[in-house]
Amino acid sequence: MNHRGGIVLIQATWASWLQYRSFFFVLAFGWMIPPLIYLFVWSTAAGEQTIGAFSRDAFIVYYLALILVNQLTYSQTNWTVGDVIRSGGLNPILLRPMPPLYNTLATEIAGKIVYMLFVVPITAVLALILRPEVDFELQHIVAFLPALSLAWMLRFFWGYGLALLAFWATRADALLAVQDSLLFLLAGQVAPIPLLPGVIRQAAVYLPFRYMIGFPIEILTGQLSAAEIGEGFFIQGCWLAVALGFSHLLWRYGIRHYTAVGG
Amino acid sequence: MYHVRLIGHFIRASVQQELAYRANFFINVLHTVLSLITGILGIVVLFEQVNTINGWDFASTLALLGVYLTLSALRRLFIGPSLDSLAGMDGDIWRGTLDFTLLRPVSKQFLVSVRMWESFALVDLALGIGVLAAAVIELEHTVSLTDMLIFTLTLITGVMLLYSILLIFVSLVFWSPGFMFTWVFDGIFQMARYPLDLYPGWLRLVLAWVIPVGIMTTVPAQALTGGLSAAFLLGHLLLTTGLFIGASWFFRFALRRYASASS
Repeated sequence: MNHRGGIVLIQATWASWLQYRSFFFVLAFGWMIPPLIYLFVWSTAAGEQTIGAFSRDAFIVYYLALILVNQLTYSQTNWTVGDVIRSGGLNPILLRPMPPLYNTLATEIAGKIVYMLFVVPITAVLALILRPEVDFELQHIVAFLPALSLAWMLRFFWGYGLALLAFWATRADALLAVQDSLLFLLAGQVAPIPLLPGVIRQAAVYLPFRYMIGFPIEILTGQLSAAEIGEGFFIQGCWLAVALGFSHLLWRYGIRHYTAVGG
Repeated sequence: MYHVRLIGHFIRASVQQELAYRANFFINVLHTVLSLITGILGIVVLFEQVNTINGWDFASTLALLGVYLTLSALRRLFIGPSLDSLAGMDGDIWRGTLDFTLLRPVSKQFLVSVRMWESFALVDLALGIGVLAAAVIELEHTVSLTDMLIFTLTLITGVMLLYSILLIFVSLVFWSPGFMFTWVFDGIFQMARYPLDLYPGWLRLVLAWVIPVGIMTTVPAQALTGGLSAAFLLGHLLLTTGLFIGASWFFRFALRRYASASS
């Protein structure tokens, strides 16, 4: 294992991405619009009253946190993995004397930094304009951080596994589109999970999607009891194990199935 | 007549190109169905919690979604593919291939705006009209013939508005050929999914007067639900005409900056 090479690769990728930052800023802008829409729509709907347990301010805090969490856990690498496999771009990566995962990791980290450079200031400005009243409790922040890291890992490896199906099918990214729609509906984007209609809400608790975005935010905003948090971590851990398992298996069998394209 | 015949040829050429990639058809169906489902469920979830928001109920918001889907479909049918091909790193302006368009003995703006068609958008169009029909049935207000006529008129002006704004955004590409101005527009356009009245005052002003995407969908929906005043309709018509003339002028102005690919 050549870890030093990996670290250099991460630095190089980050530097090259910063050069094209305006392009990535436009992408990040597009991704933050849907949560913004729902921020405005729900807080207007709440007005002076509350919907469920949510006041106007609670919606604003929830969706501002969602903009950040969604961007932090979003993995655009999942979309490029399929292209790399199809185009034969995987060859040079396989030939390098380090695990190919470093390549993916390098773009992940570069992406996170570049996108955050755009998303954090915008969110801060929005918070200053909208001025929601909020106080976070220390224990919620402490529980939020591991939930966020697990959410990122779950979303990343889940999508990575789906993308690796490109070893067998040429248009595997169609599945990623389905995944995005499910994330929109069941991860707390269209509405916070507690506000979803009955059956869908119950399904959302047991399906993996809530644990990719909504769960950490629900912890941070103090909507969950200690028991619910514990249960959530358990379900999140189980799905992460599943995602790790199947992406690992798909990689092992896929790489044997892989025949390079090009010269 | 000459122009109509030309459009016929453009459509035929585009369809022939599309038929070469038939597997894409199913991916397209998937994307269309997903965006329809998420769009409708988004409204359903919202109106499970509240009955009306600032005068908009489920049926009228559904009508607005129908307008949004119809406009998106029309955009995808020809305005989008034609204008998008100008922008970006592999766009006509960056590569200098706009030469071939400019050399032809027809109006430049006409050619740039209608030369590419995506026939699949007809499926989107049918679904958008389907949503509109469903909304009309749901509406408490009975839609009269005058309502229908005004609706059709405002829908046409909506398309003109959409076209004019896109033309302005695309004209900006002449100053910065690599920047994806149309993606920025895509983000803003998504806000038209919901009625203007669901946004806070300052944003309402922006979406009505600065980048009038909100007007495009809100006005036709109001025409259907009978909430449109004559004075507002007149102002809307004037605004659209003004913007159309302004955008055409701006495009010609921007075109002068075009320096082809050679130095």
